[in-house]
Amino acid sequence: MNLEKVVFGFFVVLAATLNFGFFLGDIDDPTVHNRYELFAAVVVNLIATVLKFGDRTQIGAVHLATSLVADLQLIAAALVLGYATYVSTAGLTPATTASVVSLSGGALLANLVSVVLLVVETVSFHRG
Amino acid sequence: MGNPLLLFWWRLVRQEDDRPPARTSRLLASAASGTEASAPVFLVLRRMRAPLIVLIVIFAVSVLGLTLVPGEDAAGRPYRMGFFDAFYVMSYTATTIGFGELPHPFTPSQRMWVTVSIFLSVIGWAYAIGSLLALLQDRAFRAALALQHVTRKVGRLGEPFLLLAGYGRAGELLAHALDRLGRRFVVLDRAPERIDDLELDSFHADVPALAGDARDPGHLAVAGLGSPSCEAVVALADDDEANLTVVMAAALLRPDLPVIARATSPAMAERMRAFGDPTVINPFDRYGDHLCLALRAPATYQLLTWFEGGPGAGLPARGRPPGGGRWVVCGYGRLGRSLAADLRTQGLAVTVVDPAPGAADEDLVVGDGVDPDVLARAGLATAVGFVAGTDNDATNLSLVAAARRGNPGLFVGARQNRSPSAPLFAAMGVDALLVPTEVVAREVYAQLATPLLWRFLREMPREGDAWAAQLIERLTDVCGRHLQALWTVPLTAQAAPALTGWLAAGGARLGDLLRNPEDRDRPLHALVLLVLRDGSATLAPGPGFVLAPGDELLLAGWAAARRALATTLAVDAVREYVVTGHRVPAGWVWRRLSRDARPDPRTSPDRSGVPR
Repeated sequence: MNLEKVVFGFFVVLAATLNFGFFLGDIDDPTVHNRYELFAAVVVNLIATVLKFGDRTQIGAVHLATSLVADLQLIAAALVLGYATYVSTAGLTPATTASVVSLSGGALLANLVSVVLLVVETVSFHRG
Repeated sequence: MGNPLLLFWWRLVRQEDDRPPARTSRLLASAASGTEASAPVFLVLRRMRAPLIVLIVIFAVSVLGLTLVPGEDAAGRPYRMGFFDAFYVMSYTATTIGFGELPHPFTPSQRMWVTVSIFLSVIGWAYAIGSLLALLQDRAFRAALALQHVTRKVGRLGEPFLLLAGYGRAGELLAHALDRLGRRFVVLDRAPERIDDLELDSFHADVPALAGDARDPGHLAVAGLGSPSCEAVVALADDDEANLTVVMAAALLRPDLPVIARATSPAMAERMRAFGDPTVINPFDRYGDHLCLALRAPATYQLLTWFEGGPGAGLPARGRPPGGGRWVVCGYGRLGRSLAADLRTQGLAVTVVDPAPGAADEDLVVGDGVDPDVLARAGLATAVGFVAGTDNDATNLSLVAAARRGNPGLFVGARQNRSPSAPLFAAMGVDALLVPTEVVAREVYAQLATPLLWRFLREMPREGDAWAAQLIERLTDVCGRHLQALWTVPLTAQAAPALTGWLAAGGARLGDLLRNPEDRDRPLHALVLLVLRDGSATLAPGPGFVLAPGDELLLAGWAAARRALATTLAVDAVREYVVTGHRVPAGWVWRRLSRDARPDPRTSPDRSGVPR
């Protein structure tokens, strides 16, 4: 067992699960989307991205790309949420909640691709 | 005289024609190890993983804690900081900017948490920045950067260049001589200090230099072995084995390239010759050849050393060699063996002095040459020549001094091993000094600078001593006691368009060509050293020599003469004046008018020779 692989898999899967947890629920209901969960998803995604730095294989490059996409989407979601809470006079309306959640939904897709890549890599490793 | 625009245009066109055809062969295999380490970005990313993760975790923990710790607003009501505020506070606190307590003054519990966060974040930043700086100092990282830098520079070198493997003393001398000629080269040396020296040195052109082992074909590939612009490989490392590897790599990967290598033993030279057809230079062997030449034909030797000195070299003094007699050679190493053999083939008796009794030689005196008794036993008093050929400069100097004391009339040769000893040997006034590195550098230079010069130097000794003395006289008459420019002129339709008709008509005498375009009664300050026609060379032809199309000329003379000759070769009107004395208008209209006016059409310029 390789500890590096354990840590790597842990963060990739955790990023996906946190993202999924935030995404779950009515798309325009702010009460079912916890901002702490979004924060955790952003942080874990960033860590997962850094873990993917410096891998020069083809699969490593795709890994990094999907992580960067997820980061971008999650940070955009956090920015929209912050804008709605602090700056906008209307506050957190169902429309903004919906856009935050849909952005995180995009990130979820990228994270799922990451997980699929992880599984593919693991399976091909065992076969080879 | 000549129309400067025409000349300019002709030069422009000619340069395009002159460019050697791009070689299509490419190096496939050996570049792999070069590119492996050439991605410093990946190195940075890989090394910065841990510091970046630590930073992210510290930041996340601090921000999260700040949103969880209870606070109070201005009115004293309980208040929890939002993520945006917490992120803002941590950003300016962690980066030590410190705007204060926002949006409301902190409670004691918040202050406690911020205190903890400050220390955590300082550690995080210090770790991250420290890692980055350590990475910049890292040898592997710097090597990767340098490798990438050189790869890029060599890739951009569009003009032909030489690959110089080994940048010792000989490499340095050669590099400076080539740089003065305006030739480009790439340097590869194993010692990083030598590469640093090179970067501090002043060259006219930018010299890509790589600190790497020449025995690695990957490094050779990075240094341009695979480049279509590479025109020759020169292996001058101190290590014969490394030179052999370079010869092998060049012969196997780029068989089309000429290779020049240095070898210090005949066995190694043989091993090198097994690969392709490299030119092997053995400095000890060459010293023996030169010494014999100096003994047999002092003027030829003088001419040889003058030309090998390159442009700007002063005329060396002509040695006064002793006649026949016995020679004493101290030190029976690589030099001693080669020299004794060379001298014996000249019919001279040689006594060898060496401390080691094992050396098998018919006339060997065992003992230390510095000892006066040993020198007396070697018969120094009756000898005519003496060579101090050990590999230790101090020993050689004291040998020379001891020999001079024993017999003041001796012809003394010595070997200088290290360049710092040069002033001492110069002060000693040795008659024939061997500096192996200089011998190598001069030989390689003579071969690379102008191929025709090399041909000239090889053919010259056959002409005899009196001929050489006469040529030196002619040269000093034309261009003084310092060697001026040496250049090659091919009499082809591309390089000498104005000469096509004149050469084809026959009777094109050399003396007519070498006249001053300003005033044809004055000769050009240039001398033709060699004419190459269909592979056979004519040395120093006289003014009556008849030129033919396709001849290649090697000339020595003033730079001004070179420019004047270029005009004569390119512009019809100038050639017409120089050869026949008729002043012909250069412009088309005037030429038309004057042709109509002139009765004899035979002397009019040949219109087919007009530069395109």
